Amino acid sequence: MSSISGFERIRQTTGSDDGALLTGAIGVVLLGAAFVAFLMNSTLTIVPVVGFIVVTAYGWYAHQAETARALTLLATTSTVLILVLITVFLILEALPAFQLMGLAIFAVEKPVELFGVTVIPGQDPLWSTSQDLYSLTPMVWGTLITTALAMLIAGPLGIAGALFISEIAPPTIREIVKPGIEIMAGVPSIVYGFVGYVIINSYMMDNFALPTFGSLFVVGIVIGLMSLPTVVSVAEDAISSVPPSIKDGSLAMGATDWQTMKSITIPSAFSGVSAAVLLGVGRAAGETMAATVILGHTQALPEPLYDVFGNTETLTSLIASQYGNATGTHMSALFAAGVVLFVSVMFLSVGSQLIEARMKRQLGGNQ
Amino acid sequence: MSEPVTSADTENSTQTTQSTQSTERSTVSGETDERIQQSWLDYDFEGEPKLASKELDVHYGSDHALKGISMEIPKESVTALIGPSGCGKSTFLRCLNRMNDRIKAANVDGSVTLDGEEIYQDGVNLVELRKRVGMVFQAPNPFPKSIRDNIAYGPRKHGDIDTGLLARLSGRKDQKKEDEIVERSLKQAALWDEVKNRLDDNALGLSGGQQQRLCIARCLATDPEVILMDEPASALDPIATSKIEDLIADLAENYTVVVVTHNMQQAARISDQTAVFLTGGELVEYGDTDKIFESPESQRVEDYITGKFG
Amino acid sequence: MSDGYGSKLVEGQTSALERVTTGVVGLSIVSCLLGMTSILRWTTESTEFLGVSLFDFFAIGLLAMGLTLVVIGVASRTGMVETQPDRNVGAFTAVAIGAISAVVVGLVVSQTLGLGTLVSVLAALVAGAATTLAMLLVREDIGSTVPIGVLTAVVGVLVVTGVLGPEWSWDPEAFTATFNGTIVIPALTVFCGLLSAWAAAKANEGFGTRGRQNGAYLLIGLNAFGMLAILAGLIVFIASKGIGPVLEGVQLGAGFDWPFVTNGYTLSPNEPNGVFPAIVGTFWVVLGAVLLAVPLGIGAAVFLTEYAEQGRFTAVVEVATNGLWSTPSVVFGLFGYAFLVPRLGNNTSLLAGMLVLGFMLLPLVVITSREALISVPDEYRDASAALGVSQWETIRSVVVPAALPGVATGVILGVGRIAGETAPILLVMTGGLRDNAPNILGSFEFTSSPPFVANDALLQSAPALPYQLYATITAGVSGDESFGWATALVLLLVVLSFYAVGIASRFYFRRKLHQ
Ligand SMILES: Nc1ncnc2c1ncn2[C@@H]1O[C@H](COP(=O)(O)OP(=O)(O)OP(=O)(O)O)[C@@H](O)[C@H]1O
Ligand SMILES: [Mg+2]
Repeated sequence: MSSISGFERIRQTTGSDDGALLTGAIGVVLLGAAFVAFLMNSTLTIVPVVGFIVVTAYGWYAHQAETARALTLLATTSTVLILVLITVFLILEALPAFQLMGLAIFAVEKPVELFGVTVIPGQDPLWSTSQDLYSLTPMVWGTLITTALAMLIAGPLGIAGALFISEIAPPTIREIVKPGIEIMAGVPSIVYGFVGYVIINSYMMDNFALPTFGSLFVVGIVIGLMSLPTVVSVAEDAISSVPPSIKDGSLAMGATDWQTMKSITIPSAFSGVSAAVLLGVGRAAGETMAATVILGHTQALPEPLYDVFGNTETLTSLIASQYGNATGTHMSALFAAGVVLFVSVMFLSVGSQLIEARMKRQLGGNQ
Repeated sequence: MSEPVTSADTENSTQTTQSTQSTERSTVSGETDERIQQSWLDYDFEGEPKLASKELDVHYGSDHALKGISMEIPKESVTALIGPSGCGKSTFLRCLNRMNDRIKAANVDGSVTLDGEEIYQDGVNLVELRKRVGMVFQAPNPFPKSIRDNIAYGPRKHGDIDTGLLARLSGRKDQKKEDEIVERSLKQAALWDEVKNRLDDNALGLSGGQQQRLCIARCLATDPEVILMDEPASALDPIATSKIEDLIADLAENYTVVVVTHNMQQAARISDQTAVFLTGGELVEYGDTDKIFESPESQRVEDYITGKFG
Repeated sequence: MSDGYGSKLVEGQTSALERVTTGVVGLSIVSCLLGMTSILRWTTESTEFLGVSLFDFFAIGLLAMGLTLVVIGVASRTGMVETQPDRNVGAFTAVAIGAISAVVVGLVVSQTLGLGTLVSVLAALVAGAATTLAMLLVREDIGSTVPIGVLTAVVGVLVVTGVLGPEWSWDPEAFTATFNGTIVIPALTVFCGLLSAWAAAKANEGFGTRGRQNGAYLLIGLNAFGMLAILAGLIVFIASKGIGPVLEGVQLGAGFDWPFVTNGYTLSPNEPNGVFPAIVGTFWVVLGAVLLAVPLGIGAAVFLTEYAEQGRFTAVVEVATNGLWSTPSVVFGLFGYAFLVPRLGNNTSLLAGMLVLGFMLLPLVVITSREALISVPDEYRDASAALGVSQWETIRSVVVPAALPGVATGVILGVGRIAGETAPILLVMTGGLRDNAPNILGSFEFTSSPPFVANDALLQSAPALPYQLYATITAGVSGDESFGWATALVLLLVVLSFYAVGIASRFYFRRKLHQ
């Protein structure tokens, strides 16, 4: 739809001739046909695709500027389209599980009642593929615990690292630390996972007498290390976007650098810094391979709930460890886990964007 | 008088030769000893010098922004710095409290003394220096905090007033003292009446001129010895401007004030002595304000003051 | 007016206080580092250090640091050394010290004295509140040294007297874990060492505002150092574990052979296993993703910065792009599993992997390209427009070339990221450990029915480096740990070389820009 309105706009703004418009219209029709054919899993998809390529080639030859503009619009639309497709397909696939379980998708062991009304249904066992019982509660809890542990590490250390890079480090040291942090972001999660699996898990069993392989604690620490670079670089962007003039104002009054950071820089960058932490939370919650490889995979709540040295499952590790032998509602339940994760992360993402937009408005407010 | 170079016995005759020399050589940067001659250290003012710069050179990268500035600024008086845009007035001002340290490209050579103590030497406590030498910036830079927090910022940071969590818990909070400081500073800066009912509003919501006065009030609240003001009245209407001018005159009784202005009349009205910088970063003439405006020695200064160029 | 200013403009020589506190900071940091080695079990209680066993060294060190801190606090309070303390420690420090005392008292009451939960929680709260309040009544120099000094010294005494020895162990009911003296002692050493270093750093500048800055900078600097140390440690560790198997059987010269890189997963006992198929698979999947994402991403960025007016549509795109960027990789995997796999031959395939990784790369390319395009100065556009050049010509010949370095850097860094992704390709691309290297170029053929062109290799499952590593874990590490380390090393090398190139090119272009 937006591509058509885009063409309207092209005609208005560039006053392109009818030939260009016709070419564009044919291109849109062909592309639409190709998309529909692909959705329907038709072997004939290739026909409109080839047609589209031919039309585009003609357009490039005959009306280059218009074609280029239309193609960039197409690229933009496709970005949005991918997100829409992800949402639609995830929900479609998860629907059977949601229908089967209803509210019980978040069931706990004993029903929780409020004024005689069951607000959270009870169910035992929480997760059993043989009985077709799929409560996501243990996974949600596991994700919450590991994310909380991770952010206890990544939050304060990340902000401190960002302060160090943007405000404290002398230039030469900054030139080492900054790329170092970036490289840290590049270490693949499976590598962290492998180290956790081979080294840390047996270390924990040897030195902390853990009875089982893997624990939420180790996952939390490893994920924390993995989301640390995200927090550092986003927070650093926010901190260094604080206008130097107000920092100068503070220093010129005889405040120390540290006082200036605490009272002026961080409060001014507060929105950006919290956006960084939110993004870090999103990364931590969505981290898959480290959790999958390190955890022992029991789909039950730890006992007691806050036993971080116990084992359970996270939403991500559930998907990665079970997709292989899942069919029917079981697979659908995995998609439901994906939906829960996706929706939470989208909330975090939109939330952090709103906060950042607010910060931009605030700091630019006086101009 | 800390430096022997400053000699009270230098006579007018020497000064005249010097200034003719300086006009002749205005475009050539001479040898070191000639530059000392060219300097205005021997300007004979009443009272003691508070600040003194000697052979102060500032480079921004390869750009030579200040060329061998030597002058003394007397205590408890108003010194005006005038000159065309880009001649280095703000740069000179920033040297006096070492704010130039914050600019990576800036490279300062030479000496500045405060009460005879060199501020460009190892071991100088910059925080202490800036407590004593306060500054009002050319562009208003209020903190994105409430008006009250802006004013109380300095005293709070220096531990003069304490209204933090612990002070509140222990019942020791200096709320009254803070209120007094806020009110006094805002009144001095002629802003009190406009903001007294909204002290807890964000300072970014003030108009440009109000922000400028807020920054002046904020500087006064920290009670420095020297106040550096970079065009403090540039965004003010005539009424506020005259209030600020009155304030500056009052301040001169206790403080040493150095003020940059583009407004000749203002410089003539408020200052005891005037320094004229001209393009290229030279200090061309320095002396009693009356003398500078009535009978400047250099032709270039006369041209500038009468508006022939610059 | 100069009276009332406590400290001098110019500082004199190093004082005795500075020398002592520097000593404490140094000792604390050494203790922390050694403590870390003990926590990692590189050193143990029986390791000798400076003639004593390591844990005795910790104990003596803690005792010395703790007592020195108390002495410093008292000396400053009584005016024996010159300092500029504030009226009291800040709220943050007061609450932090209160919290520590609450934890200590709570643990002692519940675990050592064995009183019930309610009593111990109450005791902890009372102790915490009392300590916090006490912080209000004492001057900063006492408040920031004595509590930390006492805690450190007490830990030292406990270890010296053997009350807290390597055999000590604590098995709390609430947690599965058991805490042994072998770990607890070095952990406490690190904790108390950090606290002491912080307190000593504050004392070093004579407390007050500058003391606090010194203390904070020390901790922040140690944090940055710690991050780099973890990174370096990880890389060195993997390299040391993996380099042996990677180089196993390498023959240089005429009969050049490098089994680990040129072999597949053989399973035959005489032939070393290798990662050749995985390397080829990773190459193709990354190439496919780049071919998909880079044109789309740059196109979208050009549209957003050059053509579109900022409005609802661009806002939506922006939110969608950032949303895509934070979407977890496993969700991309699920999407590919539901959307692409059924439409691409109903089995996991290289093509599906390319598309899914391309979708993951897309938002990054859009974001970095937008940044690069926005940072192209408007003068370029104006200058070109003033010459009568059309908007598209301007974009093509002026704007995009100027932004290209930034775009390239972003793409390289993004490629590093997707090359290591495991979760999505797990769901849509990979088959088993023994897949062969995909032969893309040799598999093109024409068919009589639509789609007329077929490439079997694209529609079959393919291996990749990160998957290979995952597969060695799921296959059971027992016999094949070294294969895993070697794979990890190769994967790390591939990914980090992308990062190195990306960062170096950014450095280079920035340099060029500033000349
Ligand atoms: N941060 C900086 N980096 C590089 N060059 C600078 C910087 N600040 C000032 N300059 C240069 O130094 C010279 C003097 O600048 P300065 O700001 O001191 O002038 P000014 O006399 O205050 O002018 P105005 O009256 O317009 O404020 C100018 O040529 C300016 O371009
Ligand atoms: Mg200026």
